[in-house]
Amino acid sequence: MRSARRYLRFFGPDPAADLDDELAFHLDMRVAEYVRLGMSEPDARRRIAEEAGDMDAARHECLEIDQRELRRQDMREAFGTWMRDVRVALRSLRRSPGYFAGVVATLALGIGATTAIYSVVHGVLLRPLPYPEPDRIVQLFQLDADARKGQWSDPNFADVRERLRGFDAVAQFTPAATLSVAGAGEPFRAGASAVSGDFFRVLGVRPLRGRTFAPEELVPGGSPAVVVTESFWRNQLGGSEDVIGSRLTIGRTTYSVVGVMERALAFPAGAGIYLPKELNAPSPFRTGHNWQALARVNAGTSMQSAQDAISRVARELKQQHGDDTMMSDATFVPLRDQLVGKSRKVLLLLLAASGLLLLIACANVVNLLLARATARRGEIAVRLALGAGRARLVAQFLAESAVVAGVGGALGVVLALVGVRALLRLEPGDLPRAGEIGTNLPVLGFALLATVLVALALGVIGALRGGRGALREVMAEGQRSMSGSGAARRLRDTLVVAQIALALVLLVGAGLLGRSFLAVFNQYPGYRTEGVLAMDVTLSGGDTTVLASNVRFYDEVLERGRALPGVMHAGAVNALPLAPGGVSSGMFIIQRSIAERLTFDDFRALSKIPERVGESQFRIVGGDYFRAMDIPLLRGRLFDGQDAPDAPHLALISESLARSRWPDEDPLGKIIQYGGMDGDPRPFTIVGIVGDVREANLEARPLPTFYASYRQRPRMAGRMNLVFRAQGDPAALSAPLRGIVHELRPQVPPRFRTMQAVMTESLASRRFVLVLIGVFGAAALLLASLGVYSVIAYLVAQRRREIGVRMALGARPESVRRMVVREGVVLAGVGVVVGALFAMAGRRYVEGLQYGVRATDVPSFTAVSVLLVTVAALASWFPARKAAAIPPADVLRS
Amino acid sequence: MAAHVDVLQGTLDMLVLKSLTWGPMHGYSVLAWLRQRSDDQLRVEDAALYPALHRLEARRLIESEWGLSENNRRAKFYRLTTAGRRALREETSHWSRYVSVIDRILSATGPATRTA
Repeated sequence: MRSARRYLRFFGPDPAADLDDELAFHLDMRVAEYVRLGMSEPDARRRIAEEAGDMDAARHECLEIDQRELRRQDMREAFGTWMRDVRVALRSLRRSPGYFAGVVATLALGIGATTAIYSVVHGVLLRPLPYPEPDRIVQLFQLDADARKGQWSDPNFADVRERLRGFDAVAQFTPAATLSVAGAGEPFRAGASAVSGDFFRVLGVRPLRGRTFAPEELVPGGSPAVVVTESFWRNQLGGSEDVIGSRLTIGRTTYSVVGVMERALAFPAGAGIYLPKELNAPSPFRTGHNWQALARVNAGTSMQSAQDAISRVARELKQQHGDDTMMSDATFVPLRDQLVGKSRKVLLLLLAASGLLLLIACANVVNLLLARATARRGEIAVRLALGAGRARLVAQFLAESAVVAGVGGALGVVLALVGVRALLRLEPGDLPRAGEIGTNLPVLGFALLATVLVALALGVIGALRGGRGALREVMAEGQRSMSGSGAARRLRDTLVVAQIALALVLLVGAGLLGRSFLAVFNQYPGYRTEGVLAMDVTLSGGDTTVLASNVRFYDEVLERGRALPGVMHAGAVNALPLAPGGVSSGMFIIQRSIAERLTFDDFRALSKIPERVGESQFRIVGGDYFRAMDIPLLRGRLFDGQDAPDAPHLALISESLARSRWPDEDPLGKIIQYGGMDGDPRPFTIVGIVGDVREANLEARPLPTFYASYRQRPRMAGRMNLVFRAQGDPAALSAPLRGIVHELRPQVPPRFRTMQAVMTESLASRRFVLVLIGVFGAAALLLASLGVYSVIAYLVAQRRREIGVRMALGARPESVRRMVVREGVVLAGVGVVVGALFAMAGRRYVEGLQYGVRATDVPSFTAVSVLLVTVAALASWFPARKAAAIPPADVLRS
Repeated sequence: MAAHVDVLQGTLDMLVLKSLTWGPMHGYSVLAWLRQRSDDQLRVEDAALYPALHRLEARRLIESEWGLSENNRRAKFYRLTTAGRRALREETSHWSRYVSVIDRILSATGPATRTA
């Protein structure tokens, strides 16, 4: 029995049997010892059982040790074999450096592009916000009767905060607005956000230095204090240690810096300074929707019940206040979703595009791998004949693809590092959370995963195809035949078709975005951008004396600017078209006469009568704004000096406001008022109609807009853009204008931009996506053409003999060339058709991103199809020329 | 028979290594040697010896080979490896220092004397 088992061990170690043998021998020896001393055998065994201790446990322990050891040995052995395979692979790859370089470069491109985009996606979409329990932070919205999300008024917010249960903290804040700040040195511009006391508690951020606002700083008229961000402290305040207690002057108020927040705080975007909201008394107007709100949901409250809670409170308030409030309901959105918002679609599109590129790259590599495997069939057949197991061959294929993918992946990560930096430089600045993008463990993990998947796919396909049937075929056909089997040929054709199809998807996407870009770019904005310089200045408000002196400042800068050589017109507007920030809009009431005096209650009552109300953008202009921008006056007149503060208040309206509000009437002479939106109840008389302007961006339709003069309505003229139309380069005006401003108000830092630059900037995010997709498309085109080339070149090499015979029989070189090129064109044609189907199926990814063209844009599809087929024909032409040059005599002789 | 002394925790490995100093032995003869050298005073359980042997082998301090015993039976012989020899040297010197230190403490005759 035992000896039989010993022979069985030939097939592999059996630790249990060995152990039993060893212990049995031990026991026998012990028994023999006692028997020698005169004990009977059963007595001896009993005695030993008493002395020996728990032998079963000992056996168990030994077995465990042995088995663990055996496993370790197996692993070491497998690793050794694998390392040997890798060495062999490296050696064989070194012998064909061109192939190696091609494959590695292709993979690096695919993996690099995908990893770079993924690191952006990770930083922006996937990574949790850098706050404690970030999922509980939500942005609150009040909903109007049409369930549209809106901002909060002070009374609504205060009521909701008082009644709301299930939240740890709620806070109000404003998006960052640009202010002029004077510290110890030169005045500068900085983003500032007004926040209520609990703002930092909602986010869960702590001060790095100093503290957050104290109670005495959170009351109207309290001691003015600001909290600043870490980056503001470093960049604007020099990072000095004694920052706490230092002073910043904003307008007429001097604030003392009481805290520097930790780095994580980068919200709202662009804010460097936080001012306590409570320093100013809350507004009593329930419809003054000027605040955004943030809240932290209590850890013991589910999101659903929190949602229910806020909705219930809002509906109670609606019942209580009825028509006094526009809030019918309330809701919240997780802060991360709110921040990421529109970027999600673009980023996912880019990720999909880079994924397509990776697929194309893989198809190319598989193709090269197959060609190589076929070329090595002789070698493989010999190895099989010499007894190499198929498993060993597969292992070697895997090792080779692991080496190739590993090197490609490593280079890809390097490429991604460079690529992410380039992306961030290209990025238009409206990508949320851009600061959180970087190369980190999850990103590297993604690259590793991509690499491993690629290696496995390559290895498995290569091993299956390259190893199959090699022995039989090569042995049977001898050295003569090197033609791939039909199945291998079909696989390679399929790969090329797939490449063309994927490239078509990418290129059509690029084409659609490119045509959209042109359409947007050629959109006339309603004014002429050429020759206009805009100067952005922010003054602070105050009582009427302050406001009057602001107006004098604007007037004087405009007047002295107009006197500069080359300046034709100068004007001012509070919100520059196509530049973010500063816009406001509101509802107006049409009065019956200038004498009609409306109380707040009247206003509210009238606001429910459709024929008495309208809605529009609200802009403040000054000087020769419309002439400076070349916005045409369509009817009536401009302000032209009739706008003294005490004269009747005048207004201009845009064509679309005239057409939409007074389609059958003459709007000139109409009296309207905005219910004291800017704190001034005086009504306006409409005196002129001007051309429409694309305000928010070039894509959106012009908004109905209302213009008042800053001389009559100075309260909303704190931030103005002074625009100057000049002959010649407008940028040259910035130096003299800066001098003028410095002379008049040294503490105000102006910012200059040409209107051309403003318009270009408004296209930045569209250009960003276009450039990326374009780059991916170009790379895809290159890879696909390489794919076509390699397949056709290989085909020619295979059919060398056949072609030689044809030519010997009188085929002309042209017809041979045409035959070969036709192969490439047919493959491309099939690819184009398949790709077009894919593109149609995936068109919803670009929906909303295209402008002026449809997702099924025929010119884009046609152009790309023609491009691909042409490139395929070109790629086949080189092998075709080679085929036509085959000397028939040589082929026949061999 | 004199009273047995139990093997101290952790010293069995060192004793087993020592027993193999003069050449390969199988488990039974390791046990017999330990008994003999201790004049039967040291009690080593059979159930403790074998896990020790297997553990030492897994740690590459000893290696094993099947061979024939003195009575012509197939038995597993253990032999010290170079690493095992080094380990034995280190353990021995450590043990001697340990014993002398403990001994010095246990043979103290009075409370601590202040030296400074």
